[in-house]
Amino acid sequence: MEKQLIRDFEKSFENSNLDSKKINFKKEFLNKFIKEGLPGKNLENWKYSDLSKIIKTEIGDLSFYNNISPPNKIDSSMYLSGFEHNSIVFINGRAEKIDLQFEEKDKVKISEDFELEKTSSNINSLVNLNNAFTEKNFVLTVKENYSFKKPLVIYHYTNKKIKSQNLNLRLNFELEKNTSLKLIDILDDFSEKNFINTFYNFKLNQDAILKNYKVDIKNNSNIKYSFTNIEQDKNSLSETFILSSGSAFNKNEINCNLNGNYSSAFVNGILSLNKKKHHEIRTSVNHLTESTKSYQLIKSVLENNARAVYQGKIFVSSDAQKTDGYQLSKAILLEDTTEFNAKPELEIYADDVKCSHGSASGSLNENSIFYIMSRGLNYKEAKELLINGFLLDVINKITDEEIKNLIKSMIGLKE
Amino acid sequence: MKTESSQNSREKEIEKLKKYKYGFSTDIENTKAPKGLNEEVIRFISNIKKEPKWLLDWRLKAYQRLKVLKEPNWQKPKYPKINYQDLYYYSAPKSFKEKPKSLDELDPKLLETYKKLGIPLQEQKRLNNIAVDAVFDSVSVATTFKDKLTEKGIIFCSISEAIQKHPELVKKYLGSVIPLTDHFFATLNSAVFTDGSFVYVPPGVRCPMELSTYFRINASDTGQFERTLIIADKGSYVSYLEGCTAPMRDENQLHAANVELIALDDAEIKYSTVQNWYPGDKDGKGGIYNFVTKRGLCKGINSKISWTQVETGSAITWKYPSCILKGDNSIGEFYSIAITNNHQKADTGTKMIHLGKNTKSKIISKGISAGFSDMTYRGLVDISKKADNSRNYTQCDSLLMGNKCGAHTVPYITNKNSGSNLAHEATTSKISEEQLHYCQQRGLNSEEAVGLIVNGFCKEVLQQLPMEFAVEAQKLVGISLEGSVG
Amino acid sequence: MLKINNLKAKVGEKSILNDFSLDIKPGEVHAIMGPNGSGKSTLSNILSGKKGYDVSGEIKFEGIDLFSLETEERAHKGIFLAFQYPLEIPGVNTNIFLKTSLNAIRKARGEKELDALEFLKLVKQKSKELKFDEEKLNRQLNVGFSGGEKKKNEILQMSILNPKLSILDETDSGLDIDALKTVAQGVNALRKKNNSFLIITHYQRLLDYIKPDHVHVLMNGKITKSGGPELALELEKKGYEGLN
Ligand SMILES: Nc1ncnc2c1ncn2[C@@H]1O[C@H](COP(=O)(O)OP(=O)(O)OP(=O)(O)O)[C@@H](O)[C@H]1O
Ligand SMILES: [Mg+2]
Repeated sequence: MEKQLIRDFEKSFENSNLDSKKINFKKEFLNKFIKEGLPGKNLENWKYSDLSKIIKTEIGDLSFYNNISPPNKIDSSMYLSGFEHNSIVFINGRAEKIDLQFEEKDKVKISEDFELEKTSSNINSLVNLNNAFTEKNFVLTVKENYSFKKPLVIYHYTNKKIKSQNLNLRLNFELEKNTSLKLIDILDDFSEKNFINTFYNFKLNQDAILKNYKVDIKNNSNIKYSFTNIEQDKNSLSETFILSSGSAFNKNEINCNLNGNYSSAFVNGILSLNKKKHHEIRTSVNHLTESTKSYQLIKSVLENNARAVYQGKIFVSSDAQKTDGYQLSKAILLEDTTEFNAKPELEIYADDVKCSHGSASGSLNENSIFYIMSRGLNYKEAKELLINGFLLDVINKITDEEIKNLIKSMIGLKE
Repeated sequence: MKTESSQNSREKEIEKLKKYKYGFSTDIENTKAPKGLNEEVIRFISNIKKEPKWLLDWRLKAYQRLKVLKEPNWQKPKYPKINYQDLYYYSAPKSFKEKPKSLDELDPKLLETYKKLGIPLQEQKRLNNIAVDAVFDSVSVATTFKDKLTEKGIIFCSISEAIQKHPELVKKYLGSVIPLTDHFFATLNSAVFTDGSFVYVPPGVRCPMELSTYFRINASDTGQFERTLIIADKGSYVSYLEGCTAPMRDENQLHAANVELIALDDAEIKYSTVQNWYPGDKDGKGGIYNFVTKRGLCKGINSKISWTQVETGSAITWKYPSCILKGDNSIGEFYSIAITNNHQKADTGTKMIHLGKNTKSKIISKGISAGFSDMTYRGLVDISKKADNSRNYTQCDSLLMGNKCGAHTVPYITNKNSGSNLAHEATTSKISEEQLHYCQQRGLNSEEAVGLIVNGFCKEVLQQLPMEFAVEAQKLVGISLEGSVG
Repeated sequence: MLKINNLKAKVGEKSILNDFSLDIKPGEVHAIMGPNGSGKSTLSNILSGKKGYDVSGEIKFEGIDLFSLETEERAHKGIFLAFQYPLEIPGVNTNIFLKTSLNAIRKARGEKELDALEFLKLVKQKSKELKFDEEKLNRQLNVGFSGGEKKKNEILQMSILNPKLSILDETDSGLDIDALKTVAQGVNALRKKNNSFLIITHYQRLLDYIKPDHVHVLMNGKITKSGGPELALELEKKGYEGLN
């Protein structure tokens, strides 16, 4: 892999307009990645998802040179219909179209900021890989006191024209004081067997509100890793919702630092998996100052050789008195071929806190099935009704009504 | 507000209690193997114990394996490197070259030691209905109530004696639950273990009394590597207690025991521990490194193994008493109270491996951290594909006293069976001002109030202990936390 | 309508029902009384098709062997059980549940399924009759309902599903006096020519409002005494011990 990495790295930047200082800086990330390699199950974080092995068996050797210069065509069928929104369209990692038609032009800024990379130098090997190969470092800034009028949908398309087996994408968001942004990520793949590595970095200033909905429901054979870092200042709020279902493998990692008083973070997720899919959600919510709050709810429904993993950590530093942290994970195993792994973790260094977690996994409740059947529904209907109800609970945590309904209709959940 | 006099008396009380109650050492001449870990020392140990060849070979095999194993490093508490060549692996009171035939032959100094520890070995003062096997440094010094047990066919003796008298049982079961190659400390123990207890309960026999071992580390620079093997044959029942203390020393002492339990069809083993090794002084100097491997195998159908532990001592504790639920319908339980204060560190929990059908496990863990200490619950529950209709219930609660200490909960949960259910709950809390105020309003001082509340917090676990131990454990819980409330 | 002959039921080694026989004719109301643990709920569970019991004997419902029918098929045929402990089903909206259930039954009977509007009208009407707070129907099924509300919800379901044989397992326990009357009203409204009832209760007072045709005493797994409404009064005075 090492040779390929070096070769593809050079190819990627031989014609770029980055100066040599910047390229050298990227090279450091590359070297770090070469040293560490793809993560495998020897690392605690990857205990239940041996990425290096999965990539080896599913894809084989990776190539990294992704020629994104030729433009792709966009057609209107790519967009979500019946719902007004701004959009950014990525096709095979190239930003094809940015359309912020519903927003005031001087309130939103899109720029490139190379320096930002420095802030992410010690996160993990995949972020290093990302930093080594991402050419552009977009920053979307929402100016003080401005709230996005309509949601921003980021479309992540891939198709068969993709040039390499590895695709890296990085986006930064800065929400200035008293702003709000609703962001929907739609993963839509027509490519096969690629490793897609995404890194989002959010900075929420005082009173900012971020709602991020990540939707992966289209069946595809790609392997995905997404790292989301959220820095939160005083009284800010983040809501992250993950619908994880379509890809062959997908690991969503959310790291949230509650740096300011009264900041709060919500992470809710659904892992609905079949056909040998293997998905993971790993969170670490770090309460670093007083009076912060976090809430996590993750539910999984598994059938046909699927495997779901939830690793959730609540960390409370000794300065973070009056923390309120809660975490719950539940899984329904519909078949013996499925597997659920959980590692709900608490690490606490302050005494005046309220923290708890719960985890439950197993079969559907037989008594509930009996109750429903005694009202005239057959076994299959009873089962579907219960699963529907089981998942609805998470969907109902979505605070934006319009988006809630959108997602409901996407997965065919009934109320 | 506290009045001055209560403040003074409290401080005096604390001063008194800060001193580890069992921190004296006994001045007895010892026979020691030369310092260091090598084949010679292993041969020396095996030779002095007149062991059969198979056991020497077994030890040497473990030693070979040890050379390639690394010390584990995934636990949270780290410790300074141990120089294994600078330890004594065998130490026995000189008067013990030939084991005394009766208690009258025991060195009076030893008897005195056990008296100070509250473990009377002499006939007239025997504890009510508890048979005791006392282990001093590396060797078993006395076993009480032997006759009464022999009547029922129960074997309760030191493992050295069992090797001589019941080699077929030892050979069959030794290492059958904790394999030679398991991990560094377990393998170290297999190479150099010196003594420990052995219990065999024949089919259908309900052991009429509690069996107990009392461990004491006395000699300095000595590792204690005892080995316990308990076999409950079909339809039998036994309850076993373990207690331990060590003198105060500035250096850290290593304790790496292996305990193996085997329950055959319809058998039940209850294993209780009150661990009160020297925890080090209030600045974290000295204390025992308690790196213990305890594992039970529910081998037969309908068998049951229940672990109860009250862990208050040691500078560093790593232990995960586990159950392998192999037999259909077998049950595993783990009840734990772990308390750390000052600079103590504990990383403890359990493993429940469900292999058989209809297997059940229950984990109740209560962790309390105070001072500058650090406490980790680490547990694993694994329900395998074939373990139809299995159940696990886990509850882990932590209590923090102050914000200089830490509580860490790390459960690993795996479910591969769609007909099995697994539930885990964990909370972290503190003693509320309201609770304290309420108790104080009813006339308790703050130490008493905390003791009361903490004992309430631990109640579910304390209830699991045999009566004779429960009272002692309750006191211990109070003492361990003295000085931690302001 | 319902004919039970020598029904035996065991769970594992434990025998719960023993030689239990009962004959309910169309339009009749039977009350069963019996001490705690005598097997009343077991009987209603078996009638509605709950699995996990070792059963032998014969149960015929309108001439059909009940054991050959699945739980939902029994519901389609018109057997309704008001549970002693109605289950909480999180995430499932009560209204949606009721509609799905009603249409499943209608469909099986070859009747036209109700659309949302027709259904809503029906629910409105029935809730009003039974003084059931409609708001609650928008909540998750039985979640956060009080004990009495759950029982009333069962009766509402009964009146909407319009069953032929209704089994009420201690529906009166935990109800206030007004609620008790509404329950009786629900039963009496259904008590037309061909609808039958099996009412399990500990208290005579429900029978003040729903006059039973027959009263049976269930003890040790079988009917030890049968009679008219006066038997319930006698029981109330003397208790089971006083019965000869
Ligand atoms: N699944 C089961 N496993 C074991 N025993 C059972 C089971 N179901 C019922 N029983 C036992 O059978 C007996 C009858 O139970 P049942 O619930 O039918 O009583 P009941 O008459 O309805 O009592 P109550 O008046 O308290 O509602 C009880 O002793 C009960 O414990
Ligand atoms: Mg009942």
